[in-house]
Formats: sequence, C-alpha cells, structure tokens
Amino acid sequence: MRALERHRKLTAIWASEPGFRGWFSTVNHTDLGRMFLVTAFFFFIVGGLLAMLIRAQLATPHSAFAGPEIYNQIFTMHGTIMMFLFAIPTFEGLAVYLLPKILGTRDLAFPRLTAYGYWCYVFGGTMLLFAMLFGIAPDGGWFMYPPLTGAIYSPGINTDFWLIGITFVEISAIAAAVEITVSILKYRAPGMSLDKMPIFAWYALITALMILTGFPPLILGSVLLEVERAFGLPFFQAELGGDSLLWQHLFWLFGHPEVYIIFLPAAGVISTVLPVMCRTTLLGYGWIVAAAVTLAFLSFGLWVHHMFTTGIPHMGLAFFSAASTLVAVPTGVQIFAWIGTMWQGRPELRLPMLHLLGFFFTFVIGGLTGVMVAVVPFDWQAHDTAFITAHLHYVLFGGFVFPIFAGIYYWMPHFTGRRQFFRLGEFAFSLVFIGFHVTFLAMHWVGLLGQRRRIPTYAPEDGWTTINLISSVGSFVLAIGIAMSLIDVILQALTATRGRRNPWGAGTLEWAMITPAPAYNFASLPHITSREPLADEPDLATQLARGEGYLATPRHGLRETLMVDVASGKPEMHVVYPANTRLPILMSAVTGLFFLSLLLKFYWTVPLALTGVAYLAWRWVWGQDRKNDLGPVAVGHGIALPNAAETDRSPGWWGSVFLLTANATFFGSLLFGFAFLWTVAPGWPPPVWFVASLGELVIGLLGAALGPVAMRHATVASRRGDNPMPGLFVALVGSAAVGIACTAMMARTPSPEAHAYGATLFVLGSYGLFHAALVALMTSFLIARLAYGFTSSMHRAEFAIVRLWISYLSLIGALVLLAGHLPGLLS
Amino acid sequence: MTDLMRILIAPLVWLAAFSVVYGLHGLICEHGIEGAVTGLPMQRFLLITAYAFAVLIQVALLTVLYHPRLASPSRFVRFVSHATGWTGLVATAWALLPVVMTTYCA
Repeated sequence: MRALERHRKLTAIWASEPGFRGWFSTVNHTDLGRMFLVTAFFFFIVGGLLAMLIRAQLATPHSAFAGPEIYNQIFTMHGTIMMFLFAIPTFEGLAVYLLPKILGTRDLAFPRLTAYGYWCYVFGGTMLLFAMLFGIAPDGGWFMYPPLTGAIYSPGINTDFWLIGITFVEISAIAAAVEITVSILKYRAPGMSLDKMPIFAWYALITALMILTGFPPLILGSVLLEVERAFGLPFFQAELGGDSLLWQHLFWLFGHPEVYIIFLPAAGVISTVLPVMCRTTLLGYGWIVAAAVTLAFLSFGLWVHHMFTTGIPHMGLAFFSAASTLVAVPTGVQIFAWIGTMWQGRPELRLPMLHLLGFFFTFVIGGLTGVMVAVVPFDWQAHDTAFITAHLHYVLFGGFVFPIFAGIYYWMPHFTGRRQFFRLGEFAFSLVFIGFHVTFLAMHWVGLLGQRRRIPTYAPEDGWTTINLISSVGSFVLAIGIAMSLIDVILQALTATRGRRNPWGAGTLEWAMITPAPAYNFASLPHITSREPLADEPDLATQLARGEGYLATPRHGLRETLMVDVASGKPEMHVVYPANTRLPILMSAVTGLFFLSLLLKFYWTVPLALTGVAYLAWRWVWGQDRKNDLGPVAVGHGIALPNAAETDRSPGWWGSVFLLTANATFFGSLLFGFAFLWTVAPGWPPPVWFVASLGELVIGLLGAALGPVAMRHATVASRRGDNPMPGLFVALVGSAAVGIACTAMMARTPSPEAHAYGATLFVLGSYGLFHAALVALMTSFLIARLAYGFTSSMHRAEFAIVRLWISYLSLIGALVLLAGHLPGLLS
Repeated sequence: MTDLMRILIAPLVWLAAFSVVYGLHGLICEHGIEGAVTGLPMQRFLLITAYAFAVLIQVALLTVLYHPRLASPSRFVRFVSHATGWTGLVATAWALLPVVMTTYCA
C-alpha cells in the first residue's frame, strides 16, 4: 500500500465528523486537546479581566469602583478561575494533545472519557460564569473557609455555586488523570521502556497521580460543606461536634499539592523545550525524574504550612516547617539540571527561550520567598498580607504561565502547521516580564508594610497609595503584554505561511508526523530504541508513513493501537477504540442536570438524573465490544497479540485501578475526618451514641466476604467454559447484604443534624450503600452480557473488572460497618 | 508495576510515617498520657520510638533497594529508586527531627 493511500484510508477511519457537528461527537485526542486549550485560555482571559478590576479598585484609596460585595465576588472568581478553570485544564489540554504523539501511539486510553471530561469542564465552568453574570458568584475566597461560608454567614446561593460547580469541574480533572496515567503506563510505542520515555511523559504521569490523590480531599470537603449547608449536617460547626479546622485540613491537603500539580507539567515543558533551544540533550534525566517524584511526595507533607496561625502546637508546626524547607532540595536539583543543560549547550534566544528565561528569573524569586514563609515566625508576621499574594503569583505565574507560553510558542508550528511570521511575540514578552515584576515586586513591599489580602480599599494615611498605584500600572502593562501574545498566537494560527516539519530540529516523536497532525497520528507505530528517536533516525517520519512500523494496514474500519508492558515497553495487547459518538456530551449534560438539581434544590430531578447517568453508563459499556472472539491478531513485525477484551488486564481494568485509587483517597480522607473530629473537635463526646447491632454487623461482614469469593468462582467457571451464573448471583446477594447493613446503619444512626458524630456515620453509611448499589449494577450488567452471549472462556476482561470493584466494596463495606458498630460493641 | 513500586516505595513510606507521627502527636496532646520511661516523659518516649522506627524502616528499604537479588534489572530504575530511597531516609530523619527537639503540646 502506498503512503498516500494509507493516509486516506486511515483518515477515513479516524477523522471526526466535518464541521461544527464534529465538536460534539469527536473523541479524537488532537481535537479535544485543542478544544481544552482554547477553552482554558478563554477562562484565562476572563480571570485576567477580573484581576484588572481588582487592580483598578486598589489603585487609589477609597476607590468607589466596586463595593465590598462585588469585590468579594471578583477576587474569589479570579482565584477560582485561574486555579480550576485555567491552570489544571491547560495541563489537561496539553497532555491530551501531546501524550499520544510523544509516546508514539494513536490516541489516549479512553477517548470517550476524554470527551466526557472536556464537556464536564465546559458545563461546570459555564455554571460559574453564569453565576458571575447574574451577580451571585461565590464570594468566600477561593479557599471557602467555614464558618464564613456556612449557611449562617453565607445564606445565599453564591457559595453553593462554588461547591457544586467546582466538584463538577473536578470530575473532568479525575477523568483526565485516569486517562493520562493509563495512557502513559500502557499506551506507548513498542520498545519505549521507562528509561526511554520522554521527560514530559514522566512529569505528566507524576502530575496525574497527584491529581488522583490530591483532589479527593477537596471533593470530600465540598460534599460535606454542601451537605451541611443544604441539610444541616454539622461537620464544621464547633457547637455541634464539628470543627471548621477540618475544612482547612481537607482543603490544604488538596491545596498545597495543587501548587505542584500546576508547576510539574510546566517543569515538563521546560525540560522538553530547553534542550532543544540550547541545541543539546537534557542533563541529568534520571536525577530530574527522581526529583520530580520526590517533589510530588513531599508536597503532600506541607499542607499545614498554610495553617501556621491556627494555634497548632509547636511540634506540629516544626514538622511542617521542616518538610517545607526540604522541598527546596528537589526543586533546586531541577533548576541546577536546567542550568547545566544551558551550560553544556548553545542557547538560542528564540521566543520560547525568552519565556524560559522569564521563568528562571521569576520562579527562583518565588521559591526564595517560599522558603521565607516556611519559617514559622516570619509566616506569623506575613500571613494574610499582600506579601503572600505576591509570593504565590511569583510561584504560579513564574512557574506556570511563562513555561506554558514557552510551550505554546514551541508547539505552535505543530498545532497549526504554520511558522511564526509576525514578531509581536518578542515585544509582548518584554511587556509581560516588566509588567509582572512591577506589579508583584511592589506587592511584596506593600505586604511587608502591613497591607492585608482581600481588602477592597484602604485609607490614605496607611501609606500604601503610591505602591498600589505602581502595582496597578504594572498590572495594566502586564495585561497589554498578554493580550498582544494572544493576538500574536491567533495571527500565527490564521494567517502565517506554511512551515516545514520539525522547525526546531527536535528529537521527540511528535515531530515525526505531518503538521497539523493527522487524526491517526502515525500511519504505522514506531519501534523505539532511544530517548530521542527522531534525532537518531531523521528519516523516521518517512519510514512510518511508508508503513514500516506496527499496525500499518488499516482493516475493517477499526481504530487500532497497541498496549505495552509498563516497564519494558514490550507489546502486550491489541486494542480497538470506539468511534465518534455524542454519548460523552449527553452523559456530561445529564451529570450536569444532577449537579444543577442539587444547586437549585430541585431534589425531585436528582433521582431522574442519577437514573439517566446509570442508563447512559450502561449503554457506554455495552456498545464497546463484540460477541465473536478475535483470537491472536497480527500487528506487524511478525507479532500476533491477544485483543484486550480477551485478557485479564484490559484498559478498563487499568482505568478501574486508578479510579479506585482516587476513590480510596476519598474514603481515607473521610476516615481521617471522622478521627479528627473524634479526637480534636470540641463538643465531643456526642449526647447519644450509635447502638451497635451484632446481627447487622455479621450480615454486612458476611456479604463483604461472600462477594469476592463468589466472583472469583464465577471468573474461574467462565474461563473453564462452565456456567458462571450461580457465582454471579451469589456475588449479587453479597453486595445486597452490604447495602442492607449500611442502610440499617444510616437508619438507626443518632440524628445526623444534632451532632457531627451522627452526621459522619450517616455519610459513611451512604458511601457504603452507594458502592453496594454500584457493584450490584455492575454484576447485573455482567449477568446481562452473559445472557446475550458477550462473554466466553476467552472473552473475560469484564469479569476481572467487576471482581476488582467487588473486592473494593468488600474492603470499604467492612471498614464502614466496623467504624459504626465496633465502638459500641467494645464498650 | 514492580519497577514503579521500587521508585515510589520509599517516599510513600515517608508519607505514611509522617502522617502516623503527626497523628500520634495529635492523639498524645488530646489525651493526656502520664508516666515516664528511662527518664523520659511517656509522650516524648512514644514519639521518639515512632521516629526511630520510621528511620529503621527507611534504612531497611534502602538495603532492599541495593540488594542485587531484589534490585531492578533496569539500570535506570535502579538509579532512580536509589535516589528516591535516599530521599525517603533523609526526609524521614529531617522532617520528624522535631520529636527530639521541640516542646510537644505547647
């Protein structure tokens, strides 16, 4: 087959629908990556405009530009948009667009999940924008501390928009994190072992794992606060056994890793772009990987450094102060590796490099002020002043915006297939750099003079007027610079002349294709033998187009790719992707209906939405497989591999493993909250204890034990060609028993509105019941698949997935019931 | 996945040890524990024991990661797992050092 014919056939198989209809049905990662990035930059503009309003307000004392109520909404939305609707989605967009290309595969692991995550992000973000347009936006600060945000002090709907809208958006982050993790571990080009992975993939993997373990505490906090506001369960009310400090713990358990979730992808961009700009290779690849892993872990041990002024004992403060200073070490390792890379190469001052230099200068200052605030006595003085605002902007703007602009300009020829024509970008960079430092250096200064954060105005006699005016002038220079950069990017995308492939002379795989990228990425999949395949084989792109790699022959109109072994990159399975569908947008709309129903308190539509989600999820999974067994499939180079549906470790199994990782973190946070309230909160012991029941506990524990055993029996029976139906029915009975025991616990728990103890037991029981219902649904699905002939002794992937979920139910069901009953039985 | 575990295990254990010692400190401060062991107040003794135990686990892990039979066959994974192993040990020794140096419930 000739290269052009192959291109046409593959395009027919992989392309999205033409025109704007394609936006709603595409599941292609190139399209969705671009859509993520455009939407994220739209929110960046909105967040930037809000920042301008803040600076306009603070430019002079007694400004009448906005009253305190509106000003509160402006700064809350600025922080919320920049953190949740710009920074994280920009990482997601870049990763969604780039990963399959740099890993040498054709798409991400779960294309429909990518689309679902994107639409959840759009709908959730739109909810928040509407709130702002109607003047009912969140106004409690981006960290939403209770009791200020409790129903007593914030009775309106503003806070609910934040709690529900952000939880909706976080579905997108969790979906993307599962997607990215599985894609990096399992969807690489054959031969790409861990040591040959592009450095950006390492950073993206670490970031995705951090999202999976960092976001669940915030989701839990949001759920608890919303439940308190809507139904009066007092998790954060000290007089009823709750504690507002629990929110701070849950929020910063997410909030501090969040800083690194934002920085690490940017560091991935730096580690990719910098060596190319310096005409060399990255110095200390292994050290950088180790430093990034270390940074990720240490970031989870720092959260209390946001709470130094809450009255925590000295030893507690010292733990977190020590850990906070420690984090400078892996950061320093990366900075020195990058400096070494520049030293050994020949840096060229092209536009991406200018932004990288902007990063170095800015981020190092932000890091140093970070070490200052890690020291407890200094933090006590600087806490809640503009100094902190300045510090966090140096870290986030320096550590994220400059590198992302470097990345955007670096990959712009890839996105568009065009070369930079206008030279607006260089001038824009100088305005951004100067404007940023004028704005935020001044803010350090005024913070040290005592100006508090989040104040809408100040008095002339405070002595802050001139500094604030300088800061505001700087911010407008910065805004003009960013506007010029965006105009430059748009001009390049729309009007510039066609460029040549790989204009930077890079060695990574994304440049081994025509640009803009075809829907299928690679006409045939490469076999990787080095970390920079294109540098070693400059003719690689032509070889792949000629079909010299794997899966070179399009067949049966299927979207095919390969899965590989995690460590060695040895080919393991053959995978068939789903085609274009509107199911993801439909499912995210119904998910949105669920959240909107909660927000507007239309509780009668909640079960309707949940049923809709369950029905669509059923259709989603039902339609992705076939009845006949494929057997070993020839994938090229003389290799035949089993199809993923005919293995135990299918994509769905891997996805479930990482989704359950996030789920387990959520559950762990809930148990932490229970233990925290029990030991630390005032207002304990509760007036009434839960009356334990040995009968209920035994029924639940028996069900928890029975489920996995029966499911194992069914799996073995299916593999042997025997009837697995009896085992499945017993597993169903087991999950029903866990559900019944959890329901009984919820029904008999002391009034959840009266004390945090009853409230927590009620939530624990709900968690167990929800999972019992979910597992029952999955088991019923498997029974239906069996009845319709979709499973066989070879076709066994679904058994392994359901088994995993039943085992999880068994574990959490037992823990929930023991947490409820055991104290009563022991006493 | 085994190679990934080799890379992640030491920082993971650090995180667990850090959480356990911080939790233990919270429990000790909330529930006044009386008594003394070898001249040390019981609270300080418990915290130091936990600290020493955490450091010992990290030393054991590092030994395992260096052991020829248990180390990864990949040179790259060996290098990164040794680096993260040392990080786990240093981070445990440094971040939990306050148990021997500062007041515990003030």
